[in-house]
Amino acid sequence: MSVRLRTGNALAVQATDLTLAYQQRPVLWDVDLEVPQGVLMAIVGPNGAGKTTLLRTVLGLLRPAAGEVRVFGRPYAEQRQLVAYVPQRGSVDWDFPTTALDIVTMGTYSGLGWVKRPGASERSRATAALTQVGMQAYANRQISQLSGGQQQRVFLARALVQDAQVYLMDEPFQGVDATTERAIVNLLRALRADGKTVVAVHHDLQTVAEYFDQVTLLNVRRIAAGPVDKVFTDENLRLTYGGRVAGIGGRTNGSGHEPSL
Amino acid sequence: MTSAQIDVLLVAIVVAAACAVPGTFLVLRRMAMMSDAISHTVLLGIVLAFFVVADLSSPILIVGAALVGLLTVLLVETVSRTGLVREDTAIGLVFPALFSIAVILISSLAGNVHLDSDAVLLGEIAFAPFNRFTPFGGDLGPIALWVMGAILVINLACTALFFKELKLATFDPALAAALGFSPALVHYGLMALVSVTAVGAFDAVGSILVVALMVGPPAAAYLLTDRLPRMLGLSIVIGAASAVGGYWLARLLDANIAGSMATVVGIAFLLVLLLAPQRGLVATARRRRRQRWSFARQMLLIHLATHEGTPAEADESRPDHMQRHMRWPPTFANRVVQTATERGLIVLEHDQLRLTPQGRETARVAVVS
Repeated sequence: MSVRLRTGNALAVQATDLTLAYQQRPVLWDVDLEVPQGVLMAIVGPNGAGKTTLLRTVLGLLRPAAGEVRVFGRPYAEQRQLVAYVPQRGSVDWDFPTTALDIVTMGTYSGLGWVKRPGASERSRATAALTQVGMQAYANRQISQLSGGQQQRVFLARALVQDAQVYLMDEPFQGVDATTERAIVNLLRALRADGKTVVAVHHDLQTVAEYFDQVTLLNVRRIAAGPVDKVFTDENLRLTYGGRVAGIGGRTNGSGHEPSL
Repeated sequence: MTSAQIDVLLVAIVVAAACAVPGTFLVLRRMAMMSDAISHTVLLGIVLAFFVVADLSSPILIVGAALVGLLTVLLVETVSRTGLVREDTAIGLVFPALFSIAVILISSLAGNVHLDSDAVLLGEIAFAPFNRFTPFGGDLGPIALWVMGAILVINLACTALFFKELKLATFDPALAAALGFSPALVHYGLMALVSVTAVGAFDAVGSILVVALMVGPPAAAYLLTDRLPRMLGLSIVIGAASAVGGYWLARLLDANIAGSMATVVGIAFLLVLLLAPQRGLVATARRRRRQRWSFARQMLLIHLATHEGTPAEADESRPDHMQRHMRWPPTFANRVVQTATERGLIVLEHDQLRLTPQGRETARVAVVS
C-alpha cells in the first residue's frame, strides 16, 4: 500500500522530552509519547494532567519549552497533511451561522490552499464523511440545532474528510449519547482496520480496555505507556491519580470481564 | 432632492455597506468593542502622519491610521496576554491612552489646522458634498464617495477572496492553524480592514457612527439568519437602510445627521430583537407559551392513560381532580381540558375525562420520547 511506502517503519507519532509550562507551573514535564502505526491509543489522566496540552503541543498549537514532535519520522511541520485534529466540542461557538455540511467541508481546506474555494468534489467528499458517521440527514441543519452527540459526529466527519493517517481526538466521548458512542467506537475500529492511527484523550476509565489497544497514563509526567493489558493496572492508575481511584477499572490480566467499580 | 442631498445619501449608504462587511466578522469573533477602540485610535495615526506630510488630504494619512489601528490590536493583545487583565479591560486601557495622546497633540501642536476633535466623534457628513474630487478640472463627485467606494470595494474583494479563511479562522482558529492557515494572519488582515474602514468612514461620519454601523447591523442580521453569506448581505442592507432612514430623521428633526443615523441603527436592532421570526423576543415568548400548553396537555393525557382501566380510574378522571392532582389553578386546568377536547384528544362523558384513540396514541408517544 502506498501509505506504508510513504510512512515507512517509523512511529506514527513520536514526541520526545516535551516540557511546557504556563507561567511558573509545569504542565508537561519531560513527556514522551510513542504511538505505533495502526493502534488506538488512549491518553488517560486526572484533570489538569496536561492531556489537552499534550495534544495541542503535538499539533504545534503550543510551543514547548523543550522537546520535539515527529510524525512518521519527520518533523510535524512537514507532515501536517497526515494529521487530523478533533478538538473538544466546547472549544468552538456552535451558534456560528453555518450548516453541518459546511463545517465538515472545512476539513478539505488544507488541500485547497489559500483563496481557492471548495467546489462540488469537496462537498461530495464532505457528504460522504457525514454519511460515514450517520449524519447525512442533518447536512443542511444549522449547527446549533444539533444535539451534543451529533455535533461530535460532525467534528469526526470533519477529521475523516481530511483523509489523514493520524487522528488526534480530544475527548471524543465527552457528553455524547449512546448512539453516538457506538458510532464513534465503530469509526475508530474502521480507522484501525485501514491502518490509521488514533490518539484520543479519554476520561471514562471503564471503557479504556474495551475501546483502545494502547494507553498513555499522564499526570504532568508520563506515568506509564504501552499495551492496555500490560500498562492499565491498578498500580499505575494509583500512581496517575494519586490513589483517589484505586481499584477502578484497572485490570491486570486478559480481557472480556466487566470492569469492577 | 438636490444633488447635495443625493451625494450625502450616497456617501452614507457606501459607508454603511463598507462598515457592515468587516463588522460581521467582528461580531462573530466577539470583538465588537475592538471597532470602538480602533475607530478612535486611528486619529493618532492621522495626526502623526499629518506631522510627517503636512497635508490633510494625503493618502499617507490612511496608511498611518491603519498602522495605528494594528498597533492598537497588538497592544491590547500584549496587555491581555500577560494574564493579569482581561481583554475587555485591556481595550479600555489601550484605546483611551492612544486617543488622548492624539487629542493632546491636536490641541497643543495643530490648533490652527482643521483637525477638530469634535468632528472626530460625530463627523459632519453634511459637508461631504462640498469636498469634491476634481481631477484635471472635471467634477467627479464628493471625495468621500470615492474614498469610501474604494474601501468598500477593498472590503468586498478581500472578503470574497478570503471568505473560507475568514470563516475557518473565526469558527475554529485551532483547526485553521492545524490546517496551515495562520489565524494570526487572518486576524491582523481583518483588523487592517477595520482600521482602513474606520479611518475612511470617520472623516465622513465620525467614530460613533463607525461603531454603530460596524456592530449594529451585523448584530441584527445575526438574529435573522443562520447562514454567513446571508448575514453579510443582511448587514449591508440593514446598515444602508438605517443610514438612509437616519438621514431623513435628521432632516425632520433638524438634528446632526450622524447622530440620527446611529439612533436609527439602534432602533433597527431593537425592532429585530423584538420581532425576528425565530430568535426574536416575541417569537421566543410565544413559543414558550405554546410549549407550556402543549406540555400541560401531555401531562393530562399521560395521567389519564396511566389510570385507564385501573380501579382508581373513576376518581382520577374527574375534571375537578386535575386541579388538585396537578396543582393547576382552576382556570388553567379548565383551559387545558378545553384545548385537549378541541384537539380531539379527550372527550367528557358522565363527568369523566376519557382518552380518544388519538389521545391515547399521543400519550404513548410522549412517554416513549
